[in-house]
Amino acid sequence: MRRRRGLEGDGAVPYVFLAPLLALLAAFMIYPVAMNIVTSFTEWKGYGPWKWIGLANYKTMIGDEQFLASILNTGLMVLYIPLSTIVTLLIAAFLREGIGGWKVYRAILYIPNLLGYVLMGVIFSIYLRDDSALNTAIRGITGSPIHFLISPVLAINTVGLLLVVFLHLGFGLIYFLAAMNGIDKSIYEAALIDGASFWKTFLRVTVPSIRFAVEFWVVFNFIEVFARMFSFIHTLTQGGPGYSTFTLEYGIFIQAFSKFKVGYSSAWSVVLFAFCAMISVAQIRLMQRRDE
Amino acid sequence: MIRSKQVTPFGPFARLGVQAFMVILVLASLLPLYNVLSASFKSIEEYPSNPIMLPQVPILDNYQYAAFSGHLLRFTLNSLVYVPIGVALYIVVCVMAGYAFGKMRFALNKPLFLLVLFMTIFPQLLLATQVSKLISIMHLTNTGFGVVLAWVAYFAPFGTYIMTTYFADMPYEFVEAARIDGASPIRILVSVMAPLALPMVATLAIIGFQSMWNELPFSMLILQNESLRTVTLGIAVLRGQYGLRVPILSAALVIAMVVPLIIFLLFQRYITLGVTAGAVKG
Repeated sequence: MRRRRGLEGDGAVPYVFLAPLLALLAAFMIYPVAMNIVTSFTEWKGYGPWKWIGLANYKTMIGDEQFLASILNTGLMVLYIPLSTIVTLLIAAFLREGIGGWKVYRAILYIPNLLGYVLMGVIFSIYLRDDSALNTAIRGITGSPIHFLISPVLAINTVGLLLVVFLHLGFGLIYFLAAMNGIDKSIYEAALIDGASFWKTFLRVTVPSIRFAVEFWVVFNFIEVFARMFSFIHTLTQGGPGYSTFTLEYGIFIQAFSKFKVGYSSAWSVVLFAFCAMISVAQIRLMQRRDE
Repeated sequence: MIRSKQVTPFGPFARLGVQAFMVILVLASLLPLYNVLSASFKSIEEYPSNPIMLPQVPILDNYQYAAFSGHLLRFTLNSLVYVPIGVALYIVVCVMAGYAFGKMRFALNKPLFLLVLFMTIFPQLLLATQVSKLISIMHLTNTGFGVVLAWVAYFAPFGTYIMTTYFADMPYEFVEAARIDGASPIRILVSVMAPLALPMVATLAIIGFQSMWNELPFSMLILQNESLRTVTLGIAVLRGQYGLRVPILSAALVIAMVVPLIIFLLFQRYITLGVTAGAVKG
């Protein structure tokens, strides 16, 4: 990744260039994570003195139905990642064939990424209500609306489908199309002469040729599920109904900022950190493998 | 990217099928936006009885209410102040660090870069409690600068990563030539390398803008004073307001979409580059 052709080192100058970044990271990232680990062993409201309670927070957490719901929900979201990968790859492969208007489709499908989780969460909170345009139409056909966000089972699956599959579709299309653009055209020509079908070409040529991009996409989705969902959950379902769309991030938020159990929320944070550390290591390995 | 005369395994029927599928998919993806856009022009009385069709008598009252009583105009202006300042600082921090990692020799280059990479994915809620505490210790709660500082710190690792890969791929000869001319490291960066990296800096600016514009948790914790809210925070708060009618919330959403859509139309090229900046290499 980095070339080192200069014969001598650059002395102290690099550290001067890095100083602002390192100061910010030390204060706003390293210190908070370290403090989380410390406060996870305490009872603390977020202000005033704290009381050491050893592993009590962790013991409470293991039996906490909100925590278990969060883990289960996150696991369910992860199950949507293969679907997201297949759907996005397939549509990208369709568009690669030069389907008319592909640039417009790609741009329109990118809109959710542009507007961000907060706006999309509020937009879908309107669109999935019982009195929305969608549900009015459904009621007209079937006689009753679909309780997308009211039924617990539907709610978590709706969130999974929207967040993992739909919201990143436009992002994924740009990403995969750029990767596919790098594939040698003559391979496709050869496959066509051999009489290979679209599906065969897709599985034997396209997907293997962009293997790294696919792996990055999977890691990216893990990051979204574990580390970027808060804003969408907060504006779409607020964790409900019940705890049916609770996630680790949302749980940390509720414990710390509405119940003021900061010590307890830190124990959740430590668990979340452990998951993220694993994903981060996977991502770094992938980057290093690609750059070799 | 795709040429018109291209080999394709699709027959005419398959092609038509795919075309139809794409049109349906794209239209379906626009329906939630249509729901919001049409509702924003309907009166509070009309929406419940007519959620589907276009408004019978389009009105602007919802917009007036959302913009002024709902303060959406104020919030948009707030964002238009905070976010550009944040982006400017973010560029300075990421370009300097990216150049150091990408083109300079020093003992801790690799371990520090790995540390930065490791931090690119931290969830905001992991940091939120301590970040809001730190900001309060620094007496920056309820200040635009407080939220800007938290944004720059939080988004800098990813920005540093993409600048590092970009600088690392640039020929070292540029640096050497400037060095032989006796230019100082700062000079080499400011007058030689940064201008050469301008397309990537533009992409970095777009990535920073989108990240900061759409950010919620830090703004929520740092900007507790209503008049200081960002537009994204304003929308999230309105959503939580009990009993707020759909047409008004819809008008607020449409107002909040304006700036991101303008950015999209003006800088689409850099947005495309931004998507692929992190990782694509086949």
